[in-house]
Amino acid sequence: MVATPVLCVRRLSKTFPGQRALADVDLDVEPGEIRALVGQNGCGKSTLIKALAGFHEPDAGSEVTVAGKPLAFGDPTSADAAGLRFVHQDLGLVAALDAVDNLALGHGYETGRLGLIRWRRERARAREALQELGYEFEISRPVGGLAASERTAVAVARALSRHSTPPRVLVLDEPTANLPAAEADRLFALVRSVRDAGVAVIFVSHHLEEVFGLCDTVTVLRDGRLVTTRPTAGLTESDLVELMIGRRLAQYDVPPAETAHQGDVVLDVRGLATAVLGGLDLSVRAGEVVGFAGITGSGREELALALFGGRPRTGVVTIGDRTVPQLRPDLAVQYGMGLVPAERHANAAFLDADLQENVVVASPAAFARRGLLRRGRERSDVARWLERLNVRPSGTQRAMSTLSGGNQQKVVLARWLRRQPHVLVLDEPTQGVDVGAKAEIHALVDQAAADGAAVVVVSTDHDELARLCGRVLVLAGGRVVAELHHADLHADRITAAAVGHTLRSAS
Amino acid sequence: MTTEAAEPANAAADVLVTEAESAEPDRATSDVVSVEPDRATLTRRLPRLNLGLDRFSGLYVWTLIILVFGIWLPDTFLTSYNFQIIAGDQAITAMLALGLIIPLAAGVFDLSCAATLGFAVTVVTWLLKEGFNPVLAILITLACGAFIGFVNGLVVVRLNVDSFIGTLGMSSILAAGAYWVTNGEQIVNTFSKSFLDAGSTRLWGVSLPFYYMLLLAAILYVIVDHTPVGRYLYAAGGNPQAARLAGMRVGRVVWGSLITSATLAALTGVILAAKLGSASQDVGPPYLLQAFSAVFLGSTQIKAGRMNVLGTLVAIYLLATGVKGLQLGGSPSYVNSLFNGLALIIAVALAARTYRRK
Ligand SMILES: Nc1ncnc2c1ncn2[C@@H]1O[C@H](COP(=O)(O)OP(=O)(O)OP(=O)(O)O)[C@@H](O)[C@H]1O
Ligand SMILES: [Mg+2]
Repeated sequence: MVATPVLCVRRLSKTFPGQRALADVDLDVEPGEIRALVGQNGCGKSTLIKALAGFHEPDAGSEVTVAGKPLAFGDPTSADAAGLRFVHQDLGLVAALDAVDNLALGHGYETGRLGLIRWRRERARAREALQELGYEFEISRPVGGLAASERTAVAVARALSRHSTPPRVLVLDEPTANLPAAEADRLFALVRSVRDAGVAVIFVSHHLEEVFGLCDTVTVLRDGRLVTTRPTAGLTESDLVELMIGRRLAQYDVPPAETAHQGDVVLDVRGLATAVLGGLDLSVRAGEVVGFAGITGSGREELALALFGGRPRTGVVTIGDRTVPQLRPDLAVQYGMGLVPAERHANAAFLDADLQENVVVASPAAFARRGLLRRGRERSDVARWLERLNVRPSGTQRAMSTLSGGNQQKVVLARWLRRQPHVLVLDEPTQGVDVGAKAEIHALVDQAAADGAAVVVVSTDHDELARLCGRVLVLAGGRVVAELHHADLHADRITAAAVGHTLRSAS
Repeated sequence: MTTEAAEPANAAADVLVTEAESAEPDRATSDVVSVEPDRATLTRRLPRLNLGLDRFSGLYVWTLIILVFGIWLPDTFLTSYNFQIIAGDQAITAMLALGLIIPLAAGVFDLSCAATLGFAVTVVTWLLKEGFNPVLAILITLACGAFIGFVNGLVVVRLNVDSFIGTLGMSSILAAGAYWVTNGEQIVNTFSKSFLDAGSTRLWGVSLPFYYMLLLAAILYVIVDHTPVGRYLYAAGGNPQAARLAGMRVGRVVWGSLITSATLAALTGVILAAKLGSASQDVGPPYLLQAFSAVFLGSTQIKAGRMNVLGTLVAIYLLATGVKGLQLGGSPSYVNSLFNGLALIIAVALAARTYRRK
């Protein structure tokens, strides 16, 4: 390939107060290329992307050119004018606005005479853009109320929609973290068609199989520095992991020893129903890990919150011998349930608070004596948990907002693992977490189960379900359509069951 | 930290941690462009000079103001009498602002606090005029305050009215209430001597309300900074949905914060009544802007990014010192408002700038 690169990054550095996030990174991306950008949590991927997007102003000496023209830093409009299009890790949508308005944030409204917005045309355009991605939903709902994957679709549609300049580079920061495999495949098809139109694509993911399936070349970052850029062809998954973490991992995902000692039923659910879920029965024993899979719209997205009482539901949920009324998460917590929700920004993270507060928020008075907090003791306990989950950079007094996405997720996990709940509900527990940390988190979930917790894992990552669970229930149309046990527990089987049933019922 | 049941995975994970952090040169990365030094070394090289110019800027500015006016007006400004006056004069504003911290930390506005203050002044005065026992009159007034807060909470939490609107409405209702109690006239000469003394006696040259304010500040400081209550407030204010899913009853927290601020506003009203010795229906509203300015300005100080007790006190006395200096220097009275407004906007803008740089 001797094409001229459309995006040239030279000596890109970014220093945050007290921390260097990027150091002299060079990057060239050619038109029609799909480039993967990989590395451990906190290695600087999102920082690089935000620097390109004009959110972060890079250090002096950094240079970026797009199609030969230098890019002005710290200015989102100039990035857009240069033809850079972004889907950020946290999507960057306005929750209170609907899909049409969110799309317009990218390209502006189309106006007729008198400067009035042509609503009908705007809506048609939004619907069309989403249909191209394979989504069809009520576009006048505020996006805050949409499923995670629908929201991703809105963000992708916005990036691809017609702006005042043609797109040159499309940057996707972990767009698949919340997407079930089938929907990710649709996204990939679209990405390929964008690539075929001559646009360069930068794709960030912690799912290495996606990197190999989709990308031509891969750039590896480690601790803010460029490690290498290589064609994906000829590279194996373990080679890539080695490049990312700097050493060879013999086996980073070892299945747990079969947990033999299952106790009494701790979580018992009868007739759980929401707008989508239709009467789910479930019992989970102490020490058992039960998984849930399903495509978007199957009820999978609602399950964890409904169990916890975070959204309206009917049916009876009992923990031990106590019934948890609906819409009372406080009682759920008090009776020993813990929830790591999906979408940490909306549901779990206190971005302005420090890590200690983020961890102790589920048990704010645990270390208090005579009504007064004992911060010192609490701090060392929290520090131990952050260490255990390998949160980097650690430091209990750091603001949550200065952590990378994957590390924020680990902090939320620490919050609940630390409480040692009787019932642990995990919704996309390792969203945005890198391969190494994922193995550690899986080990901690095993440990929680071994200590007697009843664990429910809801995930779009079917490898994760196969790794963690003794039993996986597959949802479609709000009902359990398949139950897979030990021998059948392979990612492919789960995917086939989740998609297969839908195909059958649709035809 | 590892566990028996999950041995293999954890063993692998452990190696991963230790080795990734060691400075061992990599085998697999022959085309590496110098991966070391690692992050730790990079961090160490950075300058660490931090005078706290952002979160202590208020203290620096305060010092500067004192210096400037001290040099300009050594005879009138730089006297203990002057500082005693400043301390005493601001006690009411400070108490109101302190109470206001609570709902603002929990993420809701209480725009009715100044009206509650004014209403309480008229109520306690009227009760005393009607011959109630002072202790009973004070308790009734505080109960009125708590009730106002309760209704605010009902409107905001149960009826889901935005707090800005709900408390704005309440504030108008209370203005009507104050008028109704006073009949639009001033109520005078209703207080016993001991009641008046409680508002105007001086201790070390400063009138008593200043010490009430200090006591309140100390109590609130302990509650907000050293008990779980502060955590509930900041969590509810930081991300209500996440707080709810962490097992907090956010509605209760918000409701409680509104009851607290209204009760404290009523308490402040009682003290103001003792200080003034009379009541008219329009004493409350002028305090609103000052109290809000102080809390917002205070949220850029000491514990930057959060409404907090010490920052609020710094803000109040910083503004008051500046205004007093200008007055003594002979500035016309409208300069007060000008100074307050400019100081607020500039300070908050500076704070926003330092955040953005982070
Ligand atoms: N606003 C900030 N202030 C200080 N440090 C920050 C800030 N944003 C990011 N960092 C730090 O910069 C480093 C790079 O973070 P970045 O978000 O780019 O990681 P990432 O590669 O995207 O990781 P992930 O895979 O977890 O999303 C991290 O160590 C992070 O803690
Ligand atoms: Mg990231």
